[in-house]
This record gives sequence, structure tokens and C-alpha cells, in this order.
Amino acid sequence: MSKPDKLQSAAEQLGPDGLSDLRSRAAKKFGATGFPTTRMEDWKYTDLSIASDISVAALQDFRTDLPPSYEIPDIDAHWLVISNGSPQVGSFSAIDGVEVSLLSEADVDLQFNLPLSDLNLALLSDGLRLTVDSGVNIDKPIGILFFDDADTESLVSQGRVIIDVSKSASVQVIEFHATRGDARKYANVFVDLNIGDNARVDYARLQARDPSAVQTARLSVAAGRDATLRHFALDTGGKLVRNDLAIDIAQTGANVDFNGLYLADAMQHVDNHTRVDHRVGPAHSNQEYRGIVKGRAVWNGKAVVHEGADGTDAQQANHNLLVAERAEINAKPELEIYAEDVKCSHGTTVGQLDENAVFYLRTRCLDEEQARRLMTHAFAMGVAHRCPIDACTAWVDAHVDAALNALITEDAE
Amino acid sequence: MLDIKNLSASVGGAEILHDLSLSVGTGEVHAIMGPNGSGKSTLAQVIAGRDDYDVTAGSVTLDGEDLLELDPEERAREGVFLGFQYPVEIPGVNNAYLLKAAVNAQRAHRGLDEIDVFEFLKLAKEKMALLGMDQKFLNRGVNEGFSGGEKKRNEILQMAMLEPRLAILDETDSGLDIDALKAVAHGVNALRSPERSIVLVTHYQRLLDYIQPDHVHVLSGGKIVRSGDKTLATELEERGYDWLKEAANG
Ligand SMILES: Nc1ncnc2c1ncn2[C@@H]1O[C@H](COP(=O)(O)OP(=O)(O)OP(=O)(O)O)[C@@H](O)[C@H]1O
Ligand SMILES: [Mg+2]
Repeated sequence: MSKPDKLQSAAEQLGPDGLSDLRSRAAKKFGATGFPTTRMEDWKYTDLSIASDISVAALQDFRTDLPPSYEIPDIDAHWLVISNGSPQVGSFSAIDGVEVSLLSEADVDLQFNLPLSDLNLALLSDGLRLTVDSGVNIDKPIGILFFDDADTESLVSQGRVIIDVSKSASVQVIEFHATRGDARKYANVFVDLNIGDNARVDYARLQARDPSAVQTARLSVAAGRDATLRHFALDTGGKLVRNDLAIDIAQTGANVDFNGLYLADAMQHVDNHTRVDHRVGPAHSNQEYRGIVKGRAVWNGKAVVHEGADGTDAQQANHNLLVAERAEINAKPELEIYAEDVKCSHGTTVGQLDENAVFYLRTRCLDEEQARRLMTHAFAMGVAHRCPIDACTAWVDAHVDAALNALITEDAE
Repeated sequence: MLDIKNLSASVGGAEILHDLSLSVGTGEVHAIMGPNGSGKSTLAQVIAGRDDYDVTAGSVTLDGEDLLELDPEERAREGVFLGFQYPVEIPGVNNAYLLKAAVNAQRAHRGLDEIDVFEFLKLAKEKMALLGMDQKFLNRGVNEGFSGGEKKRNEILQMAMLEPRLAILDETDSGLDIDALKAVAHGVNALRSPERSIVLVTHYQRLLDYIQPDHVHVLSGGKIVRSGDKTLATELEERGYDWLKEAANG
């Protein structure tokens, strides 16, 4: 960012509290590095200059007193709200078996490792730490709502949540992103998920921001021994969206399954980067991402099987349906194997609807639009059905339906 | 019912059908036989409205209505049914959903309300029983992972639900075991009526033992080179096609 002093003073404005020192150090670091640029391999196709612009504008007149504003999604869950970057502690009700605390009051070691993480810490008003007791089975999903509302002034918001799931616990987590208002918004979110030995997490990241919103979000997962993760991510909103999912398997027996669906309309850019590090074996990872693209999308799936991670089974698939001439996808699977006795595969496809099938459906009385819609929907649901949280199913179905209809209907014009 | 006059059609610049004429009267069953690559499926697909084929000359009418003017779905709603030689797998599209959507699209075209869900299920199960199809096929993806014979039965199920005026069955008998062949023939015969016409494209006399055709035609090199009654099928079974090709060329 061009104005390190603005960042520094914004960081100061947020304190003084338990995070003051951290903010100041992070601001200094980010002031030196700035946003990632397209010259970096990892950011080749995703240009964050718009995120930078919004940040600069928001820092002109940085406000720490924005009133909370949010709408709880129609999904049955224990909701924890972070509105415009501020945890709404007053709205939290107790969840049996889960301890919720503010990062400013928790004793956690926050890492400085990535520029966006530095930005996040520099401007973090506060974050949440959730600790799930060992052996418990939480009765209904825990929903973390990242909600941004800006009508006139540009808004930059930071979200940070650390979730520690103790051994043998079982929990469902929904990470939900939504917005309100017409002003430009940039949200930068970091979630750390530490899954204890023999614990199980079902995770759904549902992103339905407005079409002018910008998001960068990173979920870092550390999987314990015999830990299980079932993950599904849905992106339908946002003008520019970049999601990173990093899964670290440093204990044997982990079983992680991560899937995603992204819809990119003509004016949207959706980038999903996934990375799984198999440091030991045996362990199993499986991912499938599907995209329906009219605008621009990026998928980069990397699996690294480190030396000694023998007996690793890592599967990855990415399938894309291009629904417009101008649609663009950069899909890249990357597999690095330094171990023995591994089972790895990857497959990437980019294509259009099967015209034979469209004709077949038309001979069965369906009009062309109906035929295309039905097939596109089936393609999407092929992966959306893997959403591991039943409480989200109805929302996901309805939302995917509506988003697809919008995407395809415009197409017919 | 169906009148094809001087039809020529090409694909990718190559003319496949040459000046082909064929009339199928209401209530009649016609069989079309002919060597591989002679244009039988092309003819069937042109009638159903596939736009990969360019119709360069001629006309196709259904009870006087110009079919070539209509989109495939309009033809289907008007009562044209094509049973595909190679039914298409459509992963993730539920078989029951498609059947119901098809029936409802046709009903809407006729100005009728959507079919009642229970009535639909009852009807579908009845037709499946008639075809010896397990009900579990209702909940599978359309033809997804179906065996060859199962796909063909599924075509007949769709036909039975849609009750077309004109059914064109392109090698629906190929790849069927004896029981399946009987079931399919049963399904076709159940549809036979004075108001409907059926065109069977087949390579085998065997099907015609179960479904007696009123007329048999031989399509060779993109033209009808011979027409006759069902004895023509027997003759073809014995003599093959070469004598006809020679006759047509000479
Ligand atoms: N898209 C295409 N491009 C080029 N040639 C085509 C195309 N489609 C069909 N043909 C050719 O048209 C001819 C007729 O094909 P068609 O499928 O109609 O034959 P058929 O009589 O149904 O044969 P079979 O008995 O093997 O089913 C064949 O020579 C085929 O190769
Ligand atoms: Mg054929």
C-alpha cells in the first residue's frame, strides 16, 4: 500500500488493547512488503490492485466505530457474528462444549508469515478463538458469520478465527460470508483450524457476497492423528475472490476430503488455491472442485507428498464448465511426490455442455434453455451434494439454484 | 402421418441422404433396414430435428405440418418420438425428473395442467412393470451407467410415457437379450393403435417376428432402394444387401 503511515495510525486507532503491539509490528511489515503482485507465481492470475485501492480509500478516513449490522442466514446453527471486522460478542450465546474467547484476551501466538496475514493483523479490531472440548459432539453447527455492510464509504475489514478442536471431538463449522450495501468492500479473512487426534470436523465455507465485493480468505488446517475433515466451499458472490485452503498432514491416519463449487458470472473473478502437504503416511486426501464459469476463474491444486510420507493416497480433480465464449479458466493441478508407495492422481477438465445430451433432452420435449439449465444444475450438484453439513443443504440447494438461474438466464439474452 | 419428399441432407459438406422419399400412413408400422452407414440414423435424426444436419432439399411433414420448421422440442411435443440408437448418458439428471419434465412439457403444449405427482409415479411404475424394468431406475441418472439393454428399455419407457403420434425407433432391438427383446416388442405393440405410426430401424428380422410391420424398406446409399411387405425382411435375411445395391446402381 502506498501509505504506510496511514496503516500505522489506523493500527494505533484500534488500540490500546492486548493486540496493540502485534498490530504495530504487522503494520510495519506490511508497509514494507505491500500486497502480493501478479509477478508472484501464486498470484499470477489474480490482481489485487483493486483490494489495494479499496484499502487506501478506507484508510483515508479509517473508522473503528462502525455500528454492527448483519443478517443471520437461514441455517440452523449457533451463530457467532463478525460484523465489519468486529466480533459481536454481545450476540454470542453459550455453546455447550465450546469455549469462545476474543483474541485480544486469549494467549495465542499469531504468526507473521504472509503479507495478507500482516495486513490482517495490522487492521484486526479483534478475532475469535474457539476451543472445542475433547470428546464432545456439538449438537448443531457453529456458524461464523463474516458480514460487511457499507453503503457509501469504502470498507476494509479483517476477520481472524482460530478453532482448536480437541482430541476425539466432533464438530460442524460453517464459515459464512455475506454483505449489504453498495459501497466497495474488501474483506481479508484468516481461519486456522487445528483438528486434534481422532477428531472430526465437517466444514462448509459459503460465500455469497455482493457482486462488487472483494475477498481474500485463507483456511489453514492442521490435521492430527487419525483426524477427519470433510470440507465443502461454495463461491457465488464477489467481484474478485481469492481463497486459499492449506492442509497440513503431519500425523498418520488423517483423512481429508475437500470439495468446492464456484460460479463466476461475467463480471466475476474467482480464484481457488488449494494445497495439501502430506508429511507422513499413510494418510488420505481427496479433493474435487467444480466451476461454472462465464467470467474468469482460477483453480490451482497442489499436493506435496514429502519424503517419508509413504502410503499416501492423494486424489485431486477439477472440472470446469465454460458457459460463455469469453469465459476464461486457468486450471492447474500440481503434484510433487518425494515418497514411495503412494497413490496419487489428478484430473482436470475444461469444457462445454455435451451437445448430444442437449439434443437428447430436447427430443424429450424440454426446450433448449431448460435442457442446458438442467444439465448445468446437475453438474453443480454433483459436487454440491458433498456439503457435509445437513443443516446447510437446503440453503446450498436454493442458493445454487438461484445463482445458476441468474447466470444462465442472462446467457440466453 | 409422415411424408418425406425428395429429402437431401448433408453433414460437414458430405451429402448423406439423397432425394429420399417415404410415406408412413396413420396406424402403420414400417421397418427400415439397410447396410451400416447407409443413412438410417441420419434420417431418424433429421426427422427429430438435429441441427448438425443441413437439409438441402425436400420436405418432411407430419399430418401436413412442416416439421423442418420446428425445433426438436416442438416436434417432440407435437408427438414425434425418437428412440436413439445410442441413448445419451446424462450424469446427475434424475431419470424420474426427466420423465416428469418431459410429460409436463408435452402437457403444457396441449394446454393441460402439470401431472399430479402420484398419478405420474403410478403411471411410470405401471409402464416399468410392463417393460420388466426395476423401479430403482427411476432414481438413477438418465442412462448413467446403464447397460446397453437397460438404456434401450429406458427409451421405450420414455416412449410409453409420452405416447407419441409417431415413434421412430433406431435399432432399439440391438444389444438386447431375448427377454428384453420381448419386453421391448411388448412395449411397442402396446402403443400400436390406429392413431399412431411406428418406424422401426433394424438390422434383424427377429424383431419383426414380434412386431409385424406393414411395410419394409431398404435404405442404401442414402436412398430407399426397395420397398415391400414383411417378406422383404425374410428375403434380406437370406440374400443380404448386395443384390439391391447392384440393382440400385445399375
Ligand atoms: N458428423 C458426421 N460427419 C461426417 N460423416 C458423418 C457424420 N455423421 C454421419 N456421418 C456419415 O453418414 C453416414 C450415415 O451414417 P448413419 O449413422 O446414418 O448410418 P446408419 O445407416 O444408421 O448405420 P448403422 O447401421 O451402422 O447404424 C455414415 O457414412 C457416417 O459416417
Ligand atoms: Mg444407425
